[in-house]
Amino acid sequence: MRGAVAILKKELRSYFYSPVAYVILGVFLFIMGVIFAKFVDIYQRFNSAQRFSGSQGITLDKLATYLYQNMAFILCFVTPFLTMKLYAEEKRQQTFELLFTAPLKKFELVLGKFFAAYSLMLFMVAVSFIYVFFMILWGNPELPIIGSTYLGLLLALACYVSLGGLISAMTSNQAIAAVWTFIVLLLLWLLQSLGQGITAQTGFIEWGPLLVYLSPLGHFNSFSEGLIHVKDLIYFISFTFITLYFTYCVVESNRWR
Amino acid sequence: MIEVRNLTKKYGDRTAINNLTFSVGKGEILGFLGQNGAGKTTTMKILTGFMPATSGTAAIGGFDVFENPLEVKKKIGYLPENPPIYPELLVFEYLSFVADLRGISKSEKSSKIDRVIERCNLGDVRRRLIGNLSKGYRQRVGLAQALIHDPEVLILDEPTVGLDPKQVNEARGLIKSLRSEKTVIYSTHILSEVSATCDRIIVIDKGNIVAQEAINPMGAAGGLVKTEIVVRKISEGLKSKLSSVEGVKEVHISSNGTQRLIVETEAREEVMAEVSRVVVESDSGLIRMSPVQQALEEYYLSLITGKRGVSI
Repeated sequence: MRGAVAILKKELRSYFYSPVAYVILGVFLFIMGVIFAKFVDIYQRFNSAQRFSGSQGITLDKLATYLYQNMAFILCFVTPFLTMKLYAEEKRQQTFELLFTAPLKKFELVLGKFFAAYSLMLFMVAVSFIYVFFMILWGNPELPIIGSTYLGLLLALACYVSLGGLISAMTSNQAIAAVWTFIVLLLLWLLQSLGQGITAQTGFIEWGPLLVYLSPLGHFNSFSEGLIHVKDLIYFISFTFITLYFTYCVVESNRWR
Repeated sequence: MIEVRNLTKKYGDRTAINNLTFSVGKGEILGFLGQNGAGKTTTMKILTGFMPATSGTAAIGGFDVFENPLEVKKKIGYLPENPPIYPELLVFEYLSFVADLRGISKSEKSSKIDRVIERCNLGDVRRRLIGNLSKGYRQRVGLAQALIHDPEVLILDEPTVGLDPKQVNEARGLIKSLRSEKTVIYSTHILSEVSATCDRIIVIDKGNIVAQEAINPMGAAGGLVKTEIVVRKISEGLKSKLSSVEGVKEVHISSNGTQRLIVETEAREEVMAEVSRVVVESDSGLIRMSPVQQALEEYYLSLITGKRGVSI
């Protein structure tokens, strides 16, 4: 594990030495801030509307669910920027020759890189705890639901990051890695709607549930509604492990070419 | 220390190296000579465990490169053709990363880093960004990386490419200083470098070993040396007098000027003394007598073009 820690430290260092980490963090927080402001605005209007008509339109918890679903989607855009360089840059700079001629096991390399990007993403998400703080201050959110939402984010991010790493390992061009990671993540999200769109008339009806299952969207949504299902846990964890394993295979296969 | 048997590597249909067999003893500096694309880098990449061979075996320090890669990697320091550096790191951070990668313990780390920084003359740039360094410094950072864990075997792929003459000299000095302490394999296509630093050379051409011998340029030409003699005026009979000296094989008057003679003799001091006496006594007005630097360059060309080089 010593090798993995060395890789992790080096990767984090590279992130913070280049402007990438700061820019991404700033952009992410800005977008989330805008969404949160909107969220507060809607909440306030419904609150005052409720006072006059007594309607049960919207609750803080429902709004929080939307907020975090938005966040999970926005993180799809953020991930490629953090994962694109993981392997592509090593290949371009020919530094794999250093890593592979040192007594470092390949899985240590894969784990070190995964946790470097993952911890940075988690840090970004951790900053959003400030929204929870505001919610507690001015409302009465259902804290267990927020807890399960964060668990869902944690798991979804592991998938995003491992997928980004896998795609980065397949190319030596960062830009290509970023674009493909983004496309694949977006497709995965859209699989949900695609699967639900399949009806008896369109045919392939048996494919519908499979596509829905493959999309992270539904799995994340149940977390954000406060439901922790074993099938969702299995989905995220197996997704992450399988992509990490594929990454390992791709890295290993680079030697044979 | 290094044993290579029947090593072959194919990239698809193309054979990069074909049936290489050689060994390198402990403390020896081996020059690996060949044109670009001859298979030097491929051989080195296989030896370092970066790349598997198609067939054949390679062992370093008794460990097979394919079966025991981790043990082998602990013993090797490798400087690839392009130094594997991270431009975004500072020099000492980079070295500290490599030390971590190499599993050097915390207590030893800073002393080892200091040692290679001193050895590779990096003191001035210790806190500089690698990306801002000149090619020569980057190369030295690469070398420092290869030396940090004090490996028994050093594999250097064209370590002096891109250095200025002063740096080339320093690099050679550094490599020479490793003699007897470490086993070094060193690839290059610069001939003077080989004669300056190596104990032995292997010449490789199109993936095959075409020669493998100790550095002895004289030996290569069959124990004969050529001497150039410049005189004011070649006197009558000088050529025949020289030819009759014992040990002189051939005398010819240089075609591009009558004042130059090339004498091919056995490489013995008595012969040279006798030749110089004859020239002086012949009253030709000796201006200069100097050995002809031939040997390695010519020898090397003859090996890879498949025919003996033409003399002078």
